[in-house]
Amino acid sequence: MQKIPLNLAAAEMVLARDIFKNDSPTGMPICGKGTELSDSLISRLQQMGVQSLYVEGHPVWQEGDRGLTEQLADLDKRFSKTKDNRYNATLLEVYRSHFTAAMGDDGGRTEE
Amino acid sequence: MDERRSDLKKIIMDTKTLPTLPGVINKLNSLSNDDKSSVQEMARIVSADQVLSARILRLANSPSYGFYRVSTISNAMILLGVNVVKSLALSSSIFEIMEKNSVGLWEHSLGTATAAGIIARKLALPEVEEITTAGLLHDIGKVIIGLKCAEQMPEIRRQIKLDDLYISEAEKAVLDTDHAEVGGWLSKSWFLPDKLSEPITCHHNVACSEDHRVKTSVVHLADVLIKASGFGDSGDSYVPPIQQLAWDQLKLDESLLQEIVVELEDKLVEVKNFSLELASAAVA
Repeated sequence: MQKIPLNLAAAEMVLARDIFKNDSPTGMPICGKGTELSDSLISRLQQMGVQSLYVEGHPVWQEGDRGLTEQLADLDKRFSKTKDNRYNATLLEVYRSHFTAAMGDDGGRTEE
Repeated sequence: MDERRSDLKKIIMDTKTLPTLPGVINKLNSLSNDDKSSVQEMARIVSADQVLSARILRLANSPSYGFYRVSTISNAMILLGVNVVKSLALSSSIFEIMEKNSVGLWEHSLGTATAAGIIARKLALPEVEEITTAGLLHDIGKVIIGLKCAEQMPEIRRQIKLDDLYISEAEKAVLDTDHAEVGGWLSKSWFLPDKLSEPITCHHNVACSEDHRVKTSVVHLADVLIKASGFGDSGDSYVPPIQQLAWDQLKLDESLLQEIVVELEDKLVEVKNFSLELASAAVA
């Protein structure tokens, strides 16, 4: 899942969170998560003053963003002192699969 | 306790230069322990502090609570609850002490508080607010060491880097004490309740906590999770070992851990935005 400003949104991206009017959860819901964006939808959102949205996966790459391989390497380095501890080994696996899923299409989200 | 350590304790605990908690918190504490006190009385005390009042109103009106426009402190206190207001008062004064020091440590603390709250809610533990506050404060000893032992800090940092040490190991090597113990001293001098001071003192050694082992275990695990996530900067970059005692105490298993991690990572996106917002507000 990634938060991006609306002007970087493009057709075929999938919403990871609901969009509310005025970006406030008490506002009127405009568009539900799981919706696939289209050019016409994006321009409607622009008209309604939406500033930013959460999309699945990691479609927009900016300077300083780290790829999955780098993230996993960092993760291994952080665990380098404690991977022999069996609880930490479990945690490492949980994080590894979480990072892998988060960068992929399903955005790392489980059923709610 | 050997001489070097007690000397250091004296320096660190020199009350004249130790950051103090605003009187508001002590007054709130004593009022909230008194059954006869009313919300109106507490609201009057809070109203005397404009910064705190503004924060409480901002929180009460924040979308995450979903209330509709709250404009008086007493309404806000009724809506949020006295414990939330107390935690807010405590954490906002801690923030003032912390923000001058390092954004990385602040993020680590905020992240740990978030993680502690998520774990506590997931396990349906009582006193979630207290556990969250304990998470926020668990590394307060590092702030004090940074303030009081500024001369030794380069040596501590050098040892962490060169010898691949955890920050507590380096602190012990240089200062003969560590941030958990210093945090414990500080929480005594601030008269913080045991349910906060035990998690602070024992977050690296759950076995040393006596009455609040579950809370301590939560803070211990929250600290580990945040370091695993790579969020913020706590001084070193290695994930500490999860202690068996904490694991057993919280009755953890892999699927529970997975649920916690997913929820935490989801929330950390917002925490990051919040911390950026605060940092830019502090500069402005």
